[in-house]
Amino acid sequence: MKRLPFLSLFLLLFLVPVSGRAATATVPDPTAQMRPFVAKITNLLRNEDFKNDPKCERCQKIINIAKEHFDFREMSKRVLGRQWRRLSPEQKDKFVTLFTRLLQYAYIGKIKDYAGQQVEFTGQRIRGRRAEVKTLLVDRDKTIPVSYIMLLKGDQWMTYDVVVEGVSLVRNYMEQFREILRRDKYAGLLKKLEEKVKQLEQEKLQEATRPAPAG
Amino acid sequence: MQILARTSGFLALLSCLAALALVQVNAAVVHAADSGDVDFLSDAYYDEEPETISVYDPLEPMNRAIFTFNDRAYFWVLKPVATGYAHVLPWEVRGCVSNFFNNLQEPVRFVNCLLQARFSDAGRVLARFLINSTGGVFGLADPATRDLDIPPVDASLGQTLGRWGIGDGFYLVMPLFGSTTLRDFSGTVVDALAMTPYYSWSDDFVVNAGIYAEKEVNKISLHLGEYEDLKELSFDPYISLRNAYFQHRMRLRDKDVPFPDE
Repeated sequence: MKRLPFLSLFLLLFLVPVSGRAATATVPDPTAQMRPFVAKITNLLRNEDFKNDPKCERCQKIINIAKEHFDFREMSKRVLGRQWRRLSPEQKDKFVTLFTRLLQYAYIGKIKDYAGQQVEFTGQRIRGRRAEVKTLLVDRDKTIPVSYIMLLKGDQWMTYDVVVEGVSLVRNYMEQFREILRRDKYAGLLKKLEEKVKQLEQEKLQEATRPAPAG
Repeated sequence: MQILARTSGFLALLSCLAALALVQVNAAVVHAADSGDVDFLSDAYYDEEPETISVYDPLEPMNRAIFTFNDRAYFWVLKPVATGYAHVLPWEVRGCVSNFFNNLQEPVRFVNCLLQARFSDAGRVLARFLINSTGGVFGLADPATRDLDIPPVDASLGQTLGRWGIGDGFYLVMPLFGSTTLRDFSGTVVDALAMTPYYSWSDDFVVNAGIYAEKEVNKISLHLGEYEDLKELSFDPYISLRNAYFQHRMRLRDKDVPFPDE
């Protein structure tokens, strides 16, 4: 029995540093996870095989890769603010699906603009389960700072906000949605979101059926 | 019983340690929220009450009308002109034009840095002006950024007034100028007046208006498509642009105005 204080002291001394080390060892490096993701996307964009790609198989590939690294649910939750807690699980799912599609069109629309821009990683910071990976999008005549704000889910860093030149995508949508929620309530917001997604979808279809411009 | 007591003591000690760690984490979060800095890793940044993030915009109906005017002016006049301009002049030349106008403004930035007591920034601005005016051939190139790693410094009278404790007043949209606030626009007007020595060789309004038009068209030609992107994906372009204006400004000032001292 007398040995017990020693044992507990021993355990305390031994366990704390180990668990401390274990904690830092289990937090994966966010930049290390981001690099292959960015490389995969830019490789797809550079790939000449997709030059004639009317159905945009490449778009679907990009969406699938993005789903592994973006937490669209977390994004939806933050974009809605307090309204999120008032929604039923089914309503939440529906909103996430719609908002995800909106963002997908946002990025897919950019595919045709890709002209070999490089992504440079300029730093990162980690606090608890949050991390920010700072990058620079280097264009020929300008550089645009883009930050990815991430949450650790299991051993995967999932992006839930993108900050371009200091402008948070989530915060920007949040302020727009708040006005719509105040005027037209949630039903009105959902209707606007559906209309917007439909409009972007049609624009994309028209673009796909139009012959590609020369050069 | 003794073992039980000891084990529970051990557990209590552990939970104390855990609690301590949590308190520290909470303190860090609270501190980050209190300091007023933009911290994207803090939930407080996203959870703020609507009242505190909403921008004071009492002139919204008028601002929206001017916003619509600017929108039309952009799509009907400025964009076609800037697109044609971009076809004629390669981006290298347009970059030089942009550098040139930017360099002319360095003395005004220098004075504003002094007024804000940002002395090392003032030195940086002065160095940029001297290097770019000579090595950069009248400011057409920017060797200060490219070769000597002295990046541009943002300093305006609006910022100076802000640092002196004068509030924004309210949000304003000005015809053909865009997003600003009462304070910042007043500052912009004074900053522009401070530039008049450059134009003293010509007091002809048409010539000066031509110079201003060239500067603006050149600027637009370097940013074609950005407004379209914002508009396409937003539900209310007016609010989206207003929000982007304030977020972007906050980043510029956070980066360039270190509080209290560097």
